[in-house]
Parts: sequence; structure tokens; C-alpha cells
Amino acid sequence: MQLDSAPRPAPVRARLRAAACLLLASSIPGARAAAAATTQFDASGLLYGELDRAKVVEPTLRVMRLLDNGQSFSAGLVLDAITGASPSGAMPTGRAMTTTSASGTVTNHAPGEIPTSPFSDFRGALELGWHQPLGGIVATDLVTHYSREKDYQSIGGTAALSLDLMQRLTSVTVGGGYDYDNVFPVNGVPVGLSPVVAGTGGPPDEGPTNASAVTAAAATGGTSAAVKQVPSAVVGVSRILTRRWMVSLNASRIVQRGYLTEPYKIVSVIDPDSGTTVGSITEQRPTTRDRRDLLANSVYHFGTGVFYSSYRYYWDDWGVRSHTIDLKYRRDLAEETFFQPHVRLYAQTAADFFRFGVVQGEPLPTYASSDYRLGPLRSVTLGGTYGFHVPDYPGELTVRAEYILQWGDGHPSDAVGVQRTLDLMPPLHIATVMVGYTRTF
Amino acid sequence: MKAPAVRDSGAPSLRRVDDYFVGTFMAMASPCELLLDTDDWDDARAALERVHGEAARIEATFSRYLDGNVVHRINHSAGRPVEVDAETASLIDYAATCWEASGGLFDITSGALRRVWKFDGGDRVPSHEALAATLRNVGWHRVTWHSPVLTLPAGMEIDLGGIGKEYAVDRAASLVAAGTRAPFLVNFGGDLFASGARRGGATWSVGIDDPEHTGAAALYRIDFDRGGLATSGDARRYVMWQGRRLGHILDPRTGWPVSGAPRSITVLATTCVEAGTLSTLAYLQGAAARDFLDGQGVRFWIL
Repeated sequence: MQLDSAPRPAPVRARLRAAACLLLASSIPGARAAAAATTQFDASGLLYGELDRAKVVEPTLRVMRLLDNGQSFSAGLVLDAITGASPSGAMPTGRAMTTTSASGTVTNHAPGEIPTSPFSDFRGALELGWHQPLGGIVATDLVTHYSREKDYQSIGGTAALSLDLMQRLTSVTVGGGYDYDNVFPVNGVPVGLSPVVAGTGGPPDEGPTNASAVTAAAATGGTSAAVKQVPSAVVGVSRILTRRWMVSLNASRIVQRGYLTEPYKIVSVIDPDSGTTVGSITEQRPTTRDRRDLLANSVYHFGTGVFYSSYRYYWDDWGVRSHTIDLKYRRDLAEETFFQPHVRLYAQTAADFFRFGVVQGEPLPTYASSDYRLGPLRSVTLGGTYGFHVPDYPGELTVRAEYILQWGDGHPSDAVGVQRTLDLMPPLHIATVMVGYTRTF
Repeated sequence: MKAPAVRDSGAPSLRRVDDYFVGTFMAMASPCELLLDTDDWDDARAALERVHGEAARIEATFSRYLDGNVVHRINHSAGRPVEVDAETASLIDYAATCWEASGGLFDITSGALRRVWKFDGGDRVPSHEALAATLRNVGWHRVTWHSPVLTLPAGMEIDLGGIGKEYAVDRAASLVAAGTRAPFLVNFGGDLFASGARRGGATWSVGIDDPEHTGAAALYRIDFDRGGLATSGDARRYVMWQGRRLGHILDPRTGWPVSGAPRSITVLATTCVEAGTLSTLAYLQGAAARDFLDGQGVRFWIL
């Protein structure tokens, strides 16, 4: 038959093995004893580095216990150690300069360089989850989290109800959440749009312990902490279209209320003629932000791989609109070995009150921020994940590496003087490497 | 599950051989065995009862020769949708994956073809018309499967025999493992699973029969400690056509027996289901069987 001249058949073992596992793991009436509960353990370490800026080391641990009645419990711990420098919001001036931040840091900058402030922080986050099937087609999910860093604390939770319809081809999810966050800026909560005075020196960012040594900062208004409350809601529907293809659509709305300003970010005050900076003020953002998004997902199974694609549209009442396209293709190479390339494209518009600086002598706006994250930002991510199994050792290892190029429109039409000659949002190069280990008991 | 079942021939028997126990019984038209490496009679007895019970349950549930079970319900649904239980659904899901992964070679609807072929060593092959008519009732692509609802067009039938025995081996093995720490080997008519090295670290040894002389001395021996082992072959059932010997395993796409396949293919994999599927898929590749297995990263033996 024609088979004799057919090309060498592709390996199918990885697929059969996964399918056989699924077959033998499914709970079977009268044979409960064998459908034993399982525990899944995940550990990973992430290194994140921005060229000349922030570095993050992030170990995570996660344990999930799946019971034979479909219930599951999970616990996760994430630690972040962040060091490096982040843009303070100040503009480059074309001359050597010094800047300060509201936390009292003083740094010096070369001409043309985007001013940054050094910082270091440590964050710990704990998350607990509970999944409970109710009858055959309804399930609930409850998740609660707590995280803490030097000057920020967040506590919150989410609850979701999902319902399988039409012979489980369609699933509908409705959920809501609430976070209660506290901000404790190092030198108290700064008054927005108030002048920041350069200090005379002193040790760099040492945190609250040396607050008394700080020589200059913005007026604090006398409060040491501020609150942010974040209710959220999500609705989603997923649908299995064919044996190989699943699609889903999710809509979410998050309303942030309270102190949304970044206490350490500043806005440069520039000379109306020369464009050089003559000082800086603290930033000020509105006290509410209404954020919405729509997310469309598609998962398509090929014979030897899976293609994941998603598109997200985001908009909020600060004027930020963004588009995200995310594409991944998982290719099974051999038993328990896969390679997954990843491409992500991102573009956002700036917030209405985003400005690179305020011009001296002009009336101050109600709100102003030079935080690049609210600016006209673009990014491209290219990366890949390789998953494999070490013979004779249990568990699966994954290694992921990504390169992110982030840039923005750094030549605003209203730039004055020397600012017209500078790129106010130069490209930022970011690399991440993650190593993960998963084992099921 | 390949012939009218030799029904449960009474209680299984258990005896001591050297330093382990051997339990035997008949199920799924095959001699079935449990080897348990222990000195504890009660332990061995309890394990054998579990294995025997599970083999009988799976045969009763999935044999296409028995009235009233889920396979019978599906095969007599006359084109109406049938809602199946979770276990049947996972078996059908598995079969669907095999069908996809094999490009349509592995097909649980191909049983109808066996009615037009007579593998009695003679030289009769079905007429073109008979084969074409039968092929209209073969093909998983004609089936609508939205778990847990299966809609089989009238005239078609399914047969889970191609995975049932291997599935029974793995299920029985997991039941034994849940009740004892002793090393063991389950063997249902040549499809088997071993749980790990024997006490003292020795491997299990399995003899592979010469396909031409079943029952004679084993042709070669496979030593392994853990995993599923399954064999596909066609030595005794064939038809002669234009001087060529055609085995009884049929390509559901053409309706003709697979040609050029080895006499016997044995595969060692993680589970018996996986081993059985790989040996069957390899067989269905015909002359390309060895190439197929070379790429899978499994140990295999071809005769």
C-alpha cells in the first residue's frame, strides 16, 4: 500500500501518554480506591532585568491538592526582591543634573539621560484557593491573597461561580472580588503637585529608618498612610467549537478608589524658553479609576501541538486605551518534551493627564503624572519555553527566556526648547529567565 | 473481548510458586494471571479478588457480545444520541485521540469490516461492492461525539475491544497497588503491567511466544521491572491473496488488511494502554512499523 512510501511517521507517544493518563485518572464508579487524590507541586525562579534599571529576583512555590471528589485546595507563596533604578518622572535636560525623590533620595545624571531613582524593595505574597464542584455542572472558586512590602500592603479575595451548559460544550463564569490596599510612603503621603526640593546629599534610599536624616522632600500634609479600595467583577463564556478548538470571551471591570498616586514619582517643571528643568513637583492622579477590558482567547489543538492566541482591549476613564495580541505555539517534540515560542505585541495611549513636564508660569493642571507607565507606550515580547523531563527523575522542568523591547513616543509636539532635541521615552531593553519544576505525587 | 466470551469459569485459583504467588482465572476470552511477590497469603488472595473483580466488571461493561451494556446500547441506538457514563466517555475520548493521532488508522468503528473478510487461511477476498458498502458504515469522522453524548449513525457500530483488555490491565494494576506494597505483575492474555522490581531487586521476565508456534518454548525473553507491555500480531488468522499472506488487522480507510506488517510487535511503555496503542498503531503502519516505533522513544521487539 501507499504506506510503504509514506514519510517517516511523527512521534505520537507524548499525546497517547497524556491521553492514557487522562483515561486512567478519570474517576470511575465502583473503583474509587484507585482514583487516588493527587498533589501537584510547582516551584520556579524568575530573574527579570531591565538594562541599566530594575532587577527582580522572584522565587515562587505553589502546592495544589486535588481530591477525588473534584475539590481542590491550593496555596502559593511569591517573594520578590527588587533592586535597581526606576524613572522618577523627571525629564532629561541636556545638562548634568541632580534629582530627588519624595523618599529623599538624591541622584546625579549625565546629560540626556532619563533620570532615575535607585530603590530596593522586598515583597512577599501569599495566596490560598479553594475549588468546590457543586453537583455535576456548577463549581465555585474562592481565592484570597495577602501581600506586603516596605510601603504597601494588599489584602483581598475573589469568588467565582461557573456553570456548564449544553452538554458541557459551553461554560459561563461570573465572579467578583474586592481588594483593600494600604500605602505607607516612606516620608508620609506627599501633597500632590507640591514642589520637591533637591537635598544636599545624604545616603541613598535606606527606607524609613533614616527618614530623619532626609534633608529635603515634598510637604507631606501630615498623613503617613493612604487607602485604596478595589472592587472588581468579571463575566466570561467559553465554548468548545470542535474537538480541537476552544474559544472564550471575558469581560472585566475594576473600579479603583482612594490613593492612586505614586508617592515617589515627580513631574519636571521646565523653563518656557530654554526647555531646561528648573525644578520638580510631586505627581497627582485622580482618586478613582474605572478600568474595563475585553479578552478573547482561542486554543487550537493540532496533531503535534497547540496554538494559543488572545486579543485584549483595555480602556479606562483616565484615557488609557490598549491593545494586546499574544500568540504562543506549543510543539510537542518527544515524550514530555516541548518547545513553545511566544510573541506579544502591546500598544497603549497615554492617560489624559500624562505629561513629560509642566511649563513654569503656566497654571498647574488638576492632575499630572510623568510615570512612563501612563505614557504612550509600545512593547514587543519575543521568547520561548522549553519543557523537558530528566530520565529517571520524576517531574517536569521548564526553562523560559524572553526579551522585551519597550519604547514610546518620546517626541511630543508640545516640547519646548532643548526638550525638542531629546528622546523622552528611549527604548528600554528587558530580559527575563525563568526556571520551573512541576511534580505530581 | 475478541470472541464470544468464555464466561467466568468460577473462582480464580491461587497457588504458591517459589517465593511468590500466582493467581489465575479466565476473562475476556483470555487466560489471566496475577503474580504477587509476597509471603502473605491473605494479601495475595485479596489482590487476586480485586483483579478478578475488575476484569469481570470491565468485560461485562464493555464487551460488544453482551446484551444490555453501554456498548450494546450504542450499537443499537439506530442513529439516536446516547448519553454515556463518565468511564465510557473517557474511553471514547481516548479512542478519539488515537484516531486523530493515527490519522484515522485506529478506529473503533472498523469492526463491521470483519464481517466481510474471512481470515481462515483460504483465498477468498470480499467483492469490491461488498467492501464499498461496508466502508460506508466505517469511520470515526461520521460519528458525532460531544462528551458525554455519542450519536452513531444507524448501521454503524463501535468496538472497544482494541483498548479494553489493556485498559483492564491498568485498572486492575491500580487496584492492586492501592491495597498492597508487594511488587506484582498483571497479565491478561499477553497484555501486562509490572509494578516495579521484585523483592531483592530482580526484574520480571516475560517470554514472547514464537507467533508461528504458540505454546512452544518462548522465542525470547524480555526483562523489565516496571511498565506496561503489549503485543500485536496476526500469525494465526490470515487470508491468501495473489500469493500474498494478508493478516487480519484491517486498515479502516481502505477496508483491506494491512500489508507488509511484521508478524509480532511488542512494546514496553509507561502503561499497558499506551503500550497496546503503540503496538497496534505500529502494526497499522505495515512495513513502516519499525520506523514508526523508532521515533517514539519506547523499547520494542519486532518479529
